[in-house]
Amino acid sequence: MSGYRKYFGKKILWFTITFVVAVLLNFILPRLMPGDPVAVITAKSAQGMSEASAVKEVYEHYAEEFGVNDPMFKQFITYFKNALKGDFGLSFSQYPRKVSDIISDAIWWTIALQLPAIIVGWLIGNTLGALAAYIRKGFDKAVMPVALFLSSLPPFGMAVLLLVLFAIKLDIAPTSGGYGYDMIPNFSWTFIKSVISHYQLPFWSIVIFATGGQAIGMRSMSIYELNADYVKYSRFLGIKDRTIVGYVFRNAMLPQITGLALSLGTMIGGALVAEIIFSYPGLGTTLLSGITMSDYPLLSATTLIITFMVLITTFAIDIIYGFIDPRVKAAQFDE
Amino acid sequence: MKRKVVLVLCLLMTFSMVFANGKGDKGAKPEEQQVAAADDASSGTLPRNQTLYWAGLQWGSINGWNVLSDDMNNFNVSRQAYGTRITMFETLYMYNFLDGSLEPLLADGAPQWNANKTEVTVKIKKAAKWSDGTPVTAEDVAYSYNTGVKIGNTSGNSNKPYIAAVEAKDAQTVVIKAALNSAGAAKNPLMLDNFIAVEYVAQKAWIQKLEARTGGDATKMKTDPAEDVVYSGPYGPYFADDQKVVLVRNDNYWGKDASMWGKLPAPKYVAHTIYSDNAAGEVAFKSGEVDVSQQFNSNVQDLWEKDGLPISTYMAEAPYGICGSLPTAYYNLAIPGLDNVNVRKAIAMAVDYDAIIANAMTNQSPTFDQVPRSTMNPTPGEQALYDQKAVANLQWVGNDIAGANALLDKAGIKDTNGDGIRELNGKKLSFKASCPNGWTDWMAAIEIVAAAGEKIGIEITSVFPEWSVYQTVITQANQTEYEIFMMWSDGSSPTMPWNRVRQLMSSEYVGVEGNWSGNWGQYSNPRVDEIISAIPATTDAAKLRSLYTEANKIYLTDVPSFTLMYRPNCFHAVNESVWTNYPEDGDGQNIPPGDLIHGYSIAGLYTIKTVK
Amino acid sequence: MKHILSQVFHSGKFVVGFCIFMSILLLMIFYPIFNPGNPLQIVSIGTFAEPGIYVSVYDAVDSDMNTLKLDEAPAKRLDSVLKSEDRVKMVMWFDAAGIPVDNLSIHDTEALLTLWEENYDATIRPEGMTKADRNYFQRLDGNLKKVIVTHDKVLARQDPSSSELSVIRTIEDTDYVNIKKVANVKRLPLGTDNFGRDVLKELAAAIKTSIFIGLVAGSIATLIGLTFGLLSGFIGGLVDDFIMFITNIFTVIPAFVLLILISYSIGQDQRGPTTVAVVIGLTVWTWTARAVRSQVISLRNRDHVNLSKLSGHNLFLIIFTDILPYIASYVIMALILQISGAILAEAQLSLLGLGPKTTEVPTLGLMMNWSMLYTAHLNGYWWAYFPVILTIALISFSLNLMNTGLDQVFNPTLRD
Repeated sequence: MSGYRKYFGKKILWFTITFVVAVLLNFILPRLMPGDPVAVITAKSAQGMSEASAVKEVYEHYAEEFGVNDPMFKQFITYFKNALKGDFGLSFSQYPRKVSDIISDAIWWTIALQLPAIIVGWLIGNTLGALAAYIRKGFDKAVMPVALFLSSLPPFGMAVLLLVLFAIKLDIAPTSGGYGYDMIPNFSWTFIKSVISHYQLPFWSIVIFATGGQAIGMRSMSIYELNADYVKYSRFLGIKDRTIVGYVFRNAMLPQITGLALSLGTMIGGALVAEIIFSYPGLGTTLLSGITMSDYPLLSATTLIITFMVLITTFAIDIIYGFIDPRVKAAQFDE
Repeated sequence: MKRKVVLVLCLLMTFSMVFANGKGDKGAKPEEQQVAAADDASSGTLPRNQTLYWAGLQWGSINGWNVLSDDMNNFNVSRQAYGTRITMFETLYMYNFLDGSLEPLLADGAPQWNANKTEVTVKIKKAAKWSDGTPVTAEDVAYSYNTGVKIGNTSGNSNKPYIAAVEAKDAQTVVIKAALNSAGAAKNPLMLDNFIAVEYVAQKAWIQKLEARTGGDATKMKTDPAEDVVYSGPYGPYFADDQKVVLVRNDNYWGKDASMWGKLPAPKYVAHTIYSDNAAGEVAFKSGEVDVSQQFNSNVQDLWEKDGLPISTYMAEAPYGICGSLPTAYYNLAIPGLDNVNVRKAIAMAVDYDAIIANAMTNQSPTFDQVPRSTMNPTPGEQALYDQKAVANLQWVGNDIAGANALLDKAGIKDTNGDGIRELNGKKLSFKASCPNGWTDWMAAIEIVAAAGEKIGIEITSVFPEWSVYQTVITQANQTEYEIFMMWSDGSSPTMPWNRVRQLMSSEYVGVEGNWSGNWGQYSNPRVDEIISAIPATTDAAKLRSLYTEANKIYLTDVPSFTLMYRPNCFHAVNESVWTNYPEDGDGQNIPPGDLIHGYSIAGLYTIKTVK
Repeated sequence: MKHILSQVFHSGKFVVGFCIFMSILLLMIFYPIFNPGNPLQIVSIGTFAEPGIYVSVYDAVDSDMNTLKLDEAPAKRLDSVLKSEDRVKMVMWFDAAGIPVDNLSIHDTEALLTLWEENYDATIRPEGMTKADRNYFQRLDGNLKKVIVTHDKVLARQDPSSSELSVIRTIEDTDYVNIKKVANVKRLPLGTDNFGRDVLKELAAAIKTSIFIGLVAGSIATLIGLTFGLLSGFIGGLVDDFIMFITNIFTVIPAFVLLILISYSIGQDQRGPTTVAVVIGLTVWTWTARAVRSQVISLRNRDHVNLSKLSGHNLFLIIFTDILPYIASYVIMALILQISGAILAEAQLSLLGLGPKTTEVPTLGLMMNWSMLYTAHLNGYWWAYFPVILTIALISFSLNLMNTGLDQVFNPTLRD
């Protein structure tokens, strides 16, 4: 058992170190941006004021509120302490709202959209890839280029095309938002139906985008495995084809799981842009408003949350992987 | 709780979809809805034919309903010079930007000025009531103002220098006293007009409750979301989240009294969906999910000409609406080269304004042929205030490359070293023109200014900094970073066009740090300052006209800045698939195209009808 | 080498990818030659001119005219303003205005137009008719007046001093001009964008910038990845631990997030195409580093490497002669992927408003960003966004296809 403990211990250590680095980057980088965001928020209140001293007063007031007068190091300590508690301070652009408040409104939409979409995309992709590798011939010839083309399409391009086709041309899907414009959230069937119909396009655009890449990966892995010596040997022994195929795909699947962990960041990035195209009320939209409004508390909290989500998922995948892959098990005990 | 529900719902959906691949229901089409429409929204769906939808007034979710705060990001609470929004909170008078008139709202009859124009008396309507049933009194007006000053909100800060006191004489009578200058006259009587038209009246009892709750702390009072606020307007809060804001009509609204409207506004609900960007708002407007759009729709005529949609604007032809502000390019007069009036005028002459208007405004602005440039709005009211003929010889048409070249040649500003760029005092004429990044109409305009420079041997390169950077630089007193740059001029208001002359040329802003007010190019002319101080106190029409004419003469001679286009106070386009009978040009109602929410344009809410 | 090349060009996938990529390159190189000038020049006033051939009316009226008597011409002219839905609408107006329309067929053009001419009055405001509809009927009436009356049109010149008009010529409805004889005819195969720029010309220039960004970013990423991978894999020990420590951190923190943060902190003024390319290159190298490291580890203990070590060859010599040649194909494939990834990354960044500065050069991402800002996709201006998406997809597709082709050549197990 000590092997496992070592494995987990090492993973947790990694997780912590990476998290600290991520927080550090998220803190420092946005603050290097030229321009003074306190002045932006002052500007909103100062319009129509003709006395310069009054404007100065307003500025001082906000500078105090946001704690930008403190030295950088002290700001970071405060930031880090608060971030651990889930408090990211006040938003510049939506003052006096709390950043954590804005994010907690958006994050559930993103999780509810991306998690299922990426899983579904991954499943479909792997199935198609495995089938292509197994059947080869015509099916492979058709699936392979299509999957390759789909994975080459930029995620925002896919989103735009789906939007134009289904929402504008065919007019069978809504164009924006998370639920109907004439709805008040409640537990009625009409409301649920409305949420579903708004969910469709963003969901499928992420699924399609995730499918392509996974299919190609799975196809290559499966072909490798199908040509491996143990397959030939099993065939020679007369083991049933179905049983062999089962082994093959389980072995091919394992690298695909780590593959998922590694490509998660890219996928979420693409999915966030897709969210923006559909004006879906998730983190993508929050991220964009953080950028366009120069709201760095909002921007850095959003990117930190995204990083955190990727970290957590990667961590979870690592743990699961440790349990199911015999090779990892063996490697851990070896050490 | 709500979030978990959403999460569970979405997960459920995913699975249902993977198997069923359901077809979207696309909200509900208006026809279906009218059949299904219940009398109220208890079913969770707002009945479409009883709801008016806006777009373009609200971006991002609201922070609350606190009328004393500037940080609510709530379109029902924000003040606008060209007509404060009076759906929920009300002002004493309603400003009409069509003709600059003031219509009484909470006030009863016209404002009464004393003989030497140092104080104005306003009567309050007897019928005016708060949403809790208590009468609106003069005491409320006074207390709202005093609280604003005390906690230092924008309303208090901006009025403090001009208003000495707001006093309640009796329950129905409020007296607003102007701050006096050394000569004993009102510092600026126009600001009192502005006060009674722009500032909201809040309930004294509610403010006191807020004070008790926050201990009178200014910051806490300004950030309180005020869920319990008491209002006097026809609509009150109904629902708000990060995707929409809905208000419901108060059927006991005092305005149905014969002394005001005599009836209730037509829509039972007014709603604003929060779109993430212009694109989303535009597509919703096109599909009839929005009735009144305050967004800039480029090529708005395409909506009906090409797409055949039931969409119309205040005017059927270009410029489609009423323009009320002048996006202007300022010259930084501290820059060598731009301190030369010939250079300034030559650049202004060479710019192709028709291209700017066609491109940046997609013709939603009168051209400078139709309304020659001046310090005035293109509205008849303001245009009548100066003598166009007297300044006609100073005007320029634009795209006048030959004229601009001739002017420069005559002034001896020539290209001496053959690099294609003119020199002045041995220095190459090379300038940077800038406006904030992402402000697409302004960026297009700056590009066209840059193109004009090339044609007259002046190098102009365009630079588009982020707004956060741009505005910090622009408001510095002695910035030399931006050389030719764009800023706005305020829209219509009771202080216009005087305030615009001041904004464009007053030397009071020279050397002011954190200058948000005007004259960003640091122009200074004693005669203009005299005119600016004389106008507010002038009542004689002929005298006023000659002052404005003189100011314009100086403006067009010295060219401290030049207007690039006209722009509406607010955009106003309506989709008539549910509601119709909106105010339109020439219908004799004199209701301004202010989205049925700005100042007197709220009268439109009482005239609209559902489409049969 | 020759052998490998011929093998590579025998792979169907590689050849197809190569052809697509070359045709994009050809467009990029040759279109500007046929259509020279600044790609950012504003050619049309107003936004989004439709693709097509634009004939100068100013020149056309001065060209030699031929008289063509075409029977269908008047009908075509009328059809251009009176479509069948307009006819239905006209009947609706008669209804609303209370004008009897018994026995009127909407296909009976003559009767319809007579009734219209007799009765239409713009000042009537029928009860319940929306303003949009009233405006529509006014426009329709104006258009009908233009085409029904077949008087000749007169072309006149205005004397600038006296403002008097002098007739130059009359134009009859049977006058035609041969398009070849008109001095100015402008072809805009993909119309213009929101600024009024020639989209195809801009696209050709944008491909150039985007490929430049791809090459710079890809080379930087590959170079860093290769160096780190080689050092880490070959030297091992502490160096390996340290490099892998850095690599692991930057693998887990998504490159997308880093890109956003760094681009944001640089600020818009400083973001040229090169800066953006460098930033992309600096954030995406981890992939290559990990892959190269594992390759090197598997090579490290091969006999020829050990032999070199024993012969006392120094580190660089061993790496250059004994390791690099063996992983060269692998590195080239990684480079190709990095290039296509970088082109995509630029586009994605630009969509978030973090792309290169707008005014200097067009890039595919900026073109996309502007067309989205001007809602081209919602208004049917397909020429402003679709070619851009397609180009990005094709560049990426062709690179991926070539990569797959190479993969099959170098990894025989994958061969069909």
